[in-house]
Order: sequence, then structure tokens, then C-alpha cells
Amino acid sequence: MLGLLGWVPLIPLMGFLILVMAGDQLSRLIISWVGAGSVAVSALLATLIGFEFLDGDMQPYRHIVGSWMTIDDLSVPFGFYLDALSMTMLFVVTGVGFLIHVYSAGFMEDDPGYARFFAYMNLFVSAMLVLVLADNLVLLYLGWEGVGLGSYLLIGFWYDEPNNGYAARKAFVMTRIGDTAMALGLFLLFTQLHTLDIQSLLSLASSQWAPGAVLPVASAALLLGGAVGKSAQLPLQTWLPDAMAGPTPVSALIHAATMVTAGVYLIARTHPLFLLAPTVQLAVAVIGALTLLVAGCSALVQTDIKRILAYSTISQIGYMFLALGVGAWSAAIFHLLTHAFFKALLFLAAGSVISCFHHEHNIFKMGGLRKAMPLTFWSFMIGSAALAALPLTSGYYSKHEILLAAFDASPVLWAVGLLGALITGIYSFRLIFVVFFGAQSQTVEKKPGWLMSVPLLLLAGLALFGGMLQIPLNSVFPVLIDQGNDHTFNLVSVITVASPIIGLLIAVLFYLTGTFSAQRLSDGGLAGTLRQFFLSGWGMDALYETLLVRPFITLSTMNKNDVVDGLYVGVAWLVRGLHRMASATQTGRVRWYGASMVFGAVFIIAIGLLS
Amino acid sequence: MNADQLAALAPIITITGAAIAVMLAIAIRRNFLLASGVAAGGILLSMLALGLAWPQSPAQVTLLMLLDDYALFTMALLLVTGLAVLGFCYDYFKDREGENEELILLLLTALLGATVLVASSHFAAFFLGLETLSISLFALAGYPINRARPLEAAIKYLILSGVSSAFLLMGMALIYAQSGELGFSGIGHFIANQPVMNTVVLGGVILIVAGLGFKLSLVPFHLWTPDVYEGAPAPITAFIATVSKGAVFILLLRFFISTDSYGYNPLLSVFSVIAMLSILGGNVLALLQTNVKRMLAYSSIAHMGYLLVAFIAGGSIAPGLVIEAVTFYIVAYFITTTGAFGVVSVLSTPQTEAGDIGFYRGLFWRRPLLAGTFTLMLLSLAGIPVTAGFIGKFYIFTSGADGRLWGLLAAVIAGSGLGLYYYIKIVVVMSMNEEATVRKAEESSGARISSATLAVLSLLLIWFGLFPDHLVSIIQSVSNTVR
Repeated sequence: MLGLLGWVPLIPLMGFLILVMAGDQLSRLIISWVGAGSVAVSALLATLIGFEFLDGDMQPYRHIVGSWMTIDDLSVPFGFYLDALSMTMLFVVTGVGFLIHVYSAGFMEDDPGYARFFAYMNLFVSAMLVLVLADNLVLLYLGWEGVGLGSYLLIGFWYDEPNNGYAARKAFVMTRIGDTAMALGLFLLFTQLHTLDIQSLLSLASSQWAPGAVLPVASAALLLGGAVGKSAQLPLQTWLPDAMAGPTPVSALIHAATMVTAGVYLIARTHPLFLLAPTVQLAVAVIGALTLLVAGCSALVQTDIKRILAYSTISQIGYMFLALGVGAWSAAIFHLLTHAFFKALLFLAAGSVISCFHHEHNIFKMGGLRKAMPLTFWSFMIGSAALAALPLTSGYYSKHEILLAAFDASPVLWAVGLLGALITGIYSFRLIFVVFFGAQSQTVEKKPGWLMSVPLLLLAGLALFGGMLQIPLNSVFPVLIDQGNDHTFNLVSVITVASPIIGLLIAVLFYLTGTFSAQRLSDGGLAGTLRQFFLSGWGMDALYETLLVRPFITLSTMNKNDVVDGLYVGVAWLVRGLHRMASATQTGRVRWYGASMVFGAVFIIAIGLLS
Repeated sequence: MNADQLAALAPIITITGAAIAVMLAIAIRRNFLLASGVAAGGILLSMLALGLAWPQSPAQVTLLMLLDDYALFTMALLLVTGLAVLGFCYDYFKDREGENEELILLLLTALLGATVLVASSHFAAFFLGLETLSISLFALAGYPINRARPLEAAIKYLILSGVSSAFLLMGMALIYAQSGELGFSGIGHFIANQPVMNTVVLGGVILIVAGLGFKLSLVPFHLWTPDVYEGAPAPITAFIATVSKGAVFILLLRFFISTDSYGYNPLLSVFSVIAMLSILGGNVLALLQTNVKRMLAYSSIAHMGYLLVAFIAGGSIAPGLVIEAVTFYIVAYFITTTGAFGVVSVLSTPQTEAGDIGFYRGLFWRRPLLAGTFTLMLLSLAGIPVTAGFIGKFYIFTSGADGRLWGLLAAVIAGSGLGLYYYIKIVVVMSMNEEATVRKAEESSGARISSATLAVLSLLLIWFGLFPDHLVSIIQSVSNTVR
């Protein structure tokens, strides 16, 4: 079974090729079977491989499919590497990916770009699988760029709306900034260690580099740059809220469950490098803490249902970064896993709401959906509970682990995480209370069919009980040193559990019972300004607009007729001029031809005698 | 002269015999097909006679001719090309008014001159061969006597050729005056024994270079080229561009190697200037040309310049590699140029010569195979991989780089860049599809022999482009004998 590892990314790729080449000729039914089926086969293979892998005591397994390129001392194979970490990612990508594909078959059924949609989705899944299975950084980078491409194509899926194209470009450019840093990191690692095979690279780095030296710090920082871009962390987070322009299943799959967590995976995968660079690791924690707070605040005031979820995604990935930064590697991956379940669930449930409301995104135009859409309501409840990390949900286990680890590292980080948890509690239930309680504002025209309901049910189950699915990652990560602290019943633990519940209660007071009015609060001068500030994502877009976009546009307007082009135009102009001059010698007159021969002979004799 | 020497001369004798046979055939019965058939048979026989000469190689036949492996190989090349041109001539002239049989005769005498030229080891044979070739070409270029353009081309060629012959003879006279020798090896000994450079001999060699430079249409002796290329009938232009130039270049190479003139550094300077001017001048002149025949004429100037780069490299690298590079390039150039002018000749009708580029507009839609062939030939001229032209260009670069001729290589690169522009432009024009030009597929059965020849040439072009090893090893084995 393990030998079939190469097929896992290959089958969705084949699905992509079929849909791209024959998508126009196929019926919708066949398209959905190819699109979702290829991911289903992949998921099935992954499951079978997973059983064998777990049976074999999780011995890392390497599978070389073939050689990609061999140049001098650089040899890059199509090599896949399976250990507990990539196995976890494999489950997430194929499992959640499959459920979202099934949901999409229902969600997109009236869309004219049905085949195109599934083609892109399959391409994305294939690239994501390459990313998580790659045994060398070049192949990982291929997957990394592949998912970036998939993301770009799917954000701009409805391309006839110019804003969507803008959002797609924004996502591509912003992540590209990180990608460039990552590519530089790869170059640095290769020039220093002469290999890009991840495992040998890491062991070489550990044996050759001293902790805190310049090289590990530089390379870890560059890799972090890539991770920050892909995972939408400060300061490159601004693309993710706009990325919600894509169809909702895309947001669920790419911008919640899988691609945006690639940065977390990258850091976890190369964690020995970060252990050699304590300052960078601290930077990871700080970035995570700041991001979770910044994004959480923005989520508090958004009115667009998908933007709320987008900011919450940024915030939750902030938690994962925080965990990575404090060395709680497995907690980070655990939160990645549970987050994939509950955030996919939330997005898909949001998609059901949106599709029932003629693509209405404003939560204040919804309301009272509790009765009309019970399944969606309960999905949302479970998802939000897990998001807020209420006890007994999957999110509770993972986030709790992170916060306790953060406390061990630094009480400040813990306090920030705690505040974030409080905010999470507020905005999660604000969303629920506004959308599902109160008076029903509109009649529900269309209820989600079984294609959309079944994935919701399954994901709800995973969001509740997914906490039990944790694959032990001890074989991959070093065990945290201070396991001695038992937080089970002490004050820290209690406060950690309590904070989201307090957030929930605040939401109840504001949005359910109406004891306090958010409206009245934000009417005040300072609070109103703050609300605007949060709503705009802390003004980061405006900042980049002023600092980078406008100067760049000014520069490029100045250079509208490219200076460099001038060179080529000049060459063409020069050559044409020469041609005209040379043509003038072709008079067609024999006397001139004869004379020129004589001159020519004199000329070459002169050269011969004078040189 | 003994039997062995006669055997060594058999190919040349056969060609001569073929010319006489065609003459007699015309006298007995004036029939174009008959004359062409006899000529084709003669050329084929002559190729068979190469087999007779092969065991004798190398054979010095009298003072005048040296028939070594290389001479026989190049003769074979000339004969094959002559046969291809004969095929084009047949299709081109068979339906034209006038008595066209003598054209075949002239073609054979021109071929005879060329074969003598590549085997000559003496100024007398050199001059005889060159004049036999040239005089036949005057008549060939002006064969459609009642048309203005061919006649103009012929007269121009005749007059200017006379000037170049004067240079040649003057050069030979200067060398003879100093050395008392007319044979190449004798001149070589004389030069080798000179303690200091002999200025008069140098001047003589430069005059010979000027004379040959005219035949090769090197700048600044190139002005005749476009007028003659344009005016002469397309198959004859193919002959001038390939057989005539190739034979002269091979002679130049043999002359230089056997007289060891590479020792004269000033000569290399002269050649460097000529090569530089030819590469840049030819390409610049071709750039905006709208007549395909003129464009090919200018491009041939540039190609001779490229060839010179490999030739000049002989000043510092082993002659083996130079001969290999030059010969491969010539083979590729022969195939490509014959093919290109073959397409032009197939497209020409008795009323119009297919010169203007408008003639080629939308050709892909009317005659896809022909347009494809032409595209292939143009790509090979541009030196695009998969064609023989690429390997040839590669040889030029290799020998130029080995000889450290960086300035000339820069010119080759610039020239190749310019070349792409005007070669691809024709391909673009051929693929344009305008409603007005969409005619129903033209009758193409009229030129069966030409089409078959073009098909063979295309296959060879690709074959030598993909698998050059075989040809290279043949060239290597024959070029070892040159000294």
C-alpha cells in the first residue's frame, strides 16, 4: 500500500487534466464524479496507506517516483516522504478536501463554469498533496506555488466581476512576497549545505551550525517569510479577507482548511532549523500573538459573514504560530487539524446560508434562521463552539494545549492568547446570534440538498469529536521539556477555560438579550473611530496603498514608455537606418558595381599591407 | 597518363561525355525530356564513376589536378546538387516557349567546371574550371533571352565577372613573378622558404581573394548578387547560390591549406574585415527586403560571411576541424538553399517569377506542403535546432570560439538575430489568411519531380539536424586527406 503513495497526488492531477481537456464535452454528472471522485480515490488511498503506516509503528517511509532534475551536485527527485506529520496533513487534505468537493457538487450546480471549477479544485488538491508529501524543498516549493496558482484561479473564479480579479491578484502578489523570501531561503540553504532533501538538510544543519549563528537565523527567517505570506500572518495578512471573493467551498478548502496552514506545516517540517535560531522562533511566537489579536479585533466588527470567518481564520492561524513559536509543535499541528474541521464546517454552513439568501453576505440582513435551517444552525453552533474552544469540542483540546504551552514559555504570550480567546468567544457567538436568532427577515427559498447536507453532518461530527483523532507526533517533534507542570486543575487552567465562556456571555448580553447595544457603543467618538479602524483591518490596506501601491503606480506611470524598451526600439531604428543606407548602394548600375569592386580591392590590399 | 589516372579522372570525363551526349541528342532529336534524361543519366554515371576513382585516391593527375578523398566527396556533393537543380529545371522550363534543350547542356558544362575547380591543384586548372563554370552561368542566367530581367542579370554578371577574372589573373601573375610556380604545393614551398613575408606574393594572394570574393559575393564585392539572383530563373539561381559558390569556397580552402597561406597574418586581417562586413552587411541589406529572391541573395552574403569565420579560425586551430566545420556548413547550406530556391521555382509560372513577397501571402492555406517545406528551409537558414542549419551554425560557433574570434562571433550573433527577423517574416506572411487570397488549392501536379526533390531535401535537412553523426564521420574521414 505504501508503494501507492505517488498515486495520491497523481490522481487529482489526472482529474484536473481530464476536466481541462474534455470538460466541455462532459455532462455535469460526470464532471462531478470526476472532480469529487478523484479526490475520493485519493482519500481512500490515503486511508489505506494510513492504516499500514500506523501499523508499522509510524516508521518514516520514503517513496521516490522518479528523477525531476539532476544538475551538477543538485539532484531533485519526485520523492515523497511519509511520517506522522505528513500523514496528518494527508488526512486533512484528502478527507476535508473530499467532503468539500461533495459539497461543491451541490453548491455550484447552477454555475456555468462547473467543469472549470472542479478542474481548478483538483489541481489545487494535487498541488497541496505534493506540498505536504514532498521529501525535498524544491518539490515542496512546486506544491507551494501550485497551491498559490490554484488559489489565484479560484479567488478570481467569477472573473467577470473586476473586483474578484483584483482580489485574486492581491492574494497572488501578497503571497508572492513571502514566496520570494522562501526561494531565497532555499538558495541560501542549498549554497551552504549542498542539499535540498529535507531530512538530510535538517540533520546537516543540526550538526554543522551552532544555535543562534547567522546562517540558521537567516535561513529560518527567510522560510518564516514564506510561511507568513502563505498563512496570512502579520504583516502580509491583508489578502485573505479579500480572498473571500471566491466561491464559498473554495474559502472552506483553500482559505481555511488547507493552503493557509501550509506556513504552519512548513515551519513544523523544518522545526530543527528554527530550534537553531531562537530569535526567529521567538519572532514566530510574537507574530502569532499579534496576529491573533489584530485579526480577532477585526472579526469583532465585520458585517460580512465570510469576512468574519476570514479574520477568524487569520486569528486561529495566529494561535498555531504562537504554538510553533513556543515549541509546542504538536499542539500547533493538532490545532491545524481541528481548525480544518471546524472552519471548513463554518464556511460550508455559511455557504448554505449565503446560497439561501441570493448571495447576501451582510449578517445584519439575515436573522431568525434557527427554525428555517436547523441543520445549518446546528452546524454553525458546533463550529462556533469549537472555534471558541468551548469545552468538549475539538477546538477546546487543541487551543487549550497551545495556551498552556504559551504560559510555560511566557505569561505575556499566554495573556495575549487568552484575550484572543475571549474575543473569539465574542465574535463567534455574535455571528450566531445575529444570523440565527431574532426575527426572521426573509423567507428561505432553497434548502441545501443532500450533497450539501451530508458533508455538513460529517464535518460537524469531526468538529465535535475530531479532538480524538490526534495522531501522536512524538516521532517527529522533540517532546517539550517541562512536562512536569501539571495544569489540570490549577488557576491558569481554569482561567484558560473560562475566557471563551466569558466572551460567549458578553455576546449574549450584546446580541441576544440586547442588554447592551453595540450600536450605541460605537456611536461614541473614540469607540466609533476604533470600530472603523478594526473594520478596515487596522488600516493595513490603506498603509500599503500609500506606502507601496501609489508610489509604484506613480513610478510606472512615469515609465509608461519603458526606458528599457527604448533600447530595443533604438536597435530596430538603427538597423532600419543602416538598411536604408546600405540599400542606397544597390543602384543597379554596372559602372558603380565595377567601380566598387576596384575600390574594394584597393581597400583590402590596404588592409593587407598596412596591418 | 596511365590507366589509374584515367580512372581517377573518370567522374570528370563522364560529365564531359554527358555534355557531348546531350549535344548529340539535341542534334538528333530536339526534345526537352530526352535531353534532361540523358543529362540525368550522365550525372548518375558520373557518380558511379566516383566509385571508380575512389580506390585511386589520392591521385595527382598531371600537374593540374589532385583527386583526393576530399575532392571526390565534394564532387559527389556538387553532382547531387546538380541533379536536384536539373530536376527543378525540368519542371521550370518544360512548359516554356523557346528551345530550352541547350540549357541542360550548359548546366552540364557548369557542373564540369565546378568539379574541375574542387580538384584543381594548379592555377591553370583553377582558372579553367572557374571560367568553364562562369561562362556557362552567364548563358544560363540569361537563358530566357527575350525577357529583360534575365538578360540584364546575365550582362551584369558577365561584365563584373570579367573584372573579377582580371583580378584573379593579376594575382596569379604576381605570385608567379615572385615564385616561378603555378602549382599550389610549389607555391606552398616557396612561401615556407621565405625568411620574411613577401609583399608581392601577399598582394597577389589578396587579388586572388578579391577575385574569389566576387564569386562568393562577399562584401565589398557583393553588389551584383541581388540583381543576378533576382533576374536569373529560379533553378539557375539555386545553381549559382550552391554549386558555384560552394565549389569556389572549397577551392579557396584547399588553396589556403595546401599553400599554407594561413602563415600570412595580414591575410587573416583581410578576411576578418571581409567576414565582418559580409555578416553585418548581408543581414542588414536583407532586413526589409520584400522580394524573396533578393532576400535570399542578401542572406547568402551573410552565410558566406559565417563560413569565413570558420575559415579564419584555421589561423589558430587544427585544419581538420576547420575543414569539418566548413564542409558541414556547406552541405547544410546546399540542402537548404537548393530547397528554398526549389520552392521559388515550383511557385514560378511561365508568366511570373515568384519573387515578390505578396506571392507567398497565405501560402500555408493554398499549398500547405510547399509552405511547410519553405518554412523548414528558412528555419534552417536561421539556424534553428532540429535542422541541419543549426548544426552548421553550431560548427561555426565552435570553431570561432576555439580560435578565440570573439569580435567575429559577436557579429555572427548579431547577424543571426537580424536573420531571424526576415526569415520569420516570410513564415508569418505565408501563414496570413486573407479572404481575398483564399483560393482553392492550386494545381500542384505540374511539378512532380521538383516536389519529390523537395521532399528528399526536407528529409535530409531534418535527418542531418537530428543525427549529424553519420555525415560528420564521413566528413572527418575525407578531410584527413587534405594537405
